Amino acid sequence: MTPTHFAFSSAFMLGLAGLAFHRTHFLSALLCLEGLMLSLFIALSLWTLQFNTMNSASLPMILLAFSACEAGAGLALLVATTRTHSNSRLQSLNLLQC
Amino acid sequence: MTPLIYSTLIISLGIGTTLTFASTHWYLAWMGIEINTLAIIPLMTQSHSPRATEATTKYFFAQATASATLLFAATSNAFFTGSWDILQTNNPLTYTLMTLALAMKIGLAPLHSWMPEVMQGLTLLTGLILSTWQKLAPFCLIYQIQPHSPNLFMALGLLSIVAGGWGGFNQVQLRKILAYSSIAHLGWMVLILSFSPPLTLVAFSTYLMMTFSLFYSFMMTKTTHINSLSTSWAKIPTLTALTPLILLSLGGLPPLTGFLPKWMILQELTKQDLALVAVLAALFSLFSLYFYLRLSYTMTLTMPPNNPAGTLPWRLNPSHNTLPP
Repeated sequence: MTPTHFAFSSAFMLGLAGLAFHRTHFLSALLCLEGLMLSLFIALSLWTLQFNTMNSASLPMILLAFSACEAGAGLALLVATTRTHSNSRLQSLNLLQC
Repeated sequence: MTPLIYSTLIISLGIGTTLTFASTHWYLAWMGIEINTLAIIPLMTQSHSPRATEATTKYFFAQATASATLLFAATSNAFFTGSWDILQTNNPLTYTLMTLALAMKIGLAPLHSWMPEVMQGLTLLTGLILSTWQKLAPFCLIYQIQPHSPNLFMALGLLSIVAGGWGGFNQVQLRKILAYSSIAHLGWMVLILSFSPPLTLVAFSTYLMMTFSLFYSFMMTKTTHINSLSTSWAKIPTLTALTPLILLSLGGLPPLTGFLPKWMILQELTKQDLALVAVLAALFSLFSLYFYLRLSYTMTLTMPPNNPAGTLPWRLNPSHNTLPP
């Protein structure tokens, strides 16, 4: 495993742990999601330098576009949750319990 | 929702799945899955009720996490092997991570906890799209991953059959029951994947047809709870006679179609010297059969407002005197 690979893998794992263990705020989960996408962006951007190919040089841009769409959707859901549940804490999302 | 936006979202759903089906590059497959996720989110929050918003939030988090993990596994695989080809996922770490990410996408145990709650908050039509169409794209990718050992898929499959059966035991909400039945059926499909992929496709196509029929019959009678199911016999009597057939087919009873994939899967498992796994899978799908039978019992065999448990046989020697003296 090259140092580059290790670096973005550990960044991803940290973000994933943050997303899996988020406790209070909706926004912190969205931030961890953005962190995941950022680590993947760095990985794809370093691909060209690491492997000396120009094959997949446009991949980071497309990833950025999709991650921006996803972040927008997440923020819209944050606003919708605040409108219906009066706050964006994750403990208040308890209407659908089994 | 205006027809233009509605048709844009439906077409985007179609484009996403088609993109994943047509791709050999992991990145394009990931893009198709992302398009699917983004397109169904407005469809879920259509009614703007608190339950719908909460269901959409939980769905968004589960799917976004799984998508990011899938792309990370694909990127790791590309760093290890130098290839973005879907059929060349050779590294054990990466295909394990990919399998787990795709399992979270479609709702296999132990990553299934978002599924019943999300299904509960949606309308029946959106729930139908969620449990049939949204499973196609990740399933196409699961089908193409070539694992070296069948252990992970068997573990996921067996756990899903157990979780789908056991979880639906005490449910009265029909959408949660349908979610648990979906988890159990996906477990059957994934169980046999590493031994005989055509059987997985047989199980998947029969599951699609049966789930579509069941959702549609619930949509026609507009029932979402066992109580309203029990009084729905007067709305469409023919449907009341036919829905037990669909339910028993989902439960896997011969001579209905739902028996076919289960039979072939059990046969293939015994051929591979895995008789214990076959026995466990068959025994745990009895739990699912229990709640399908309960649905067909309350729908067809009882006429409300009689309490179904109260229609017991007459006791000739009563233990208490219930009449006043």
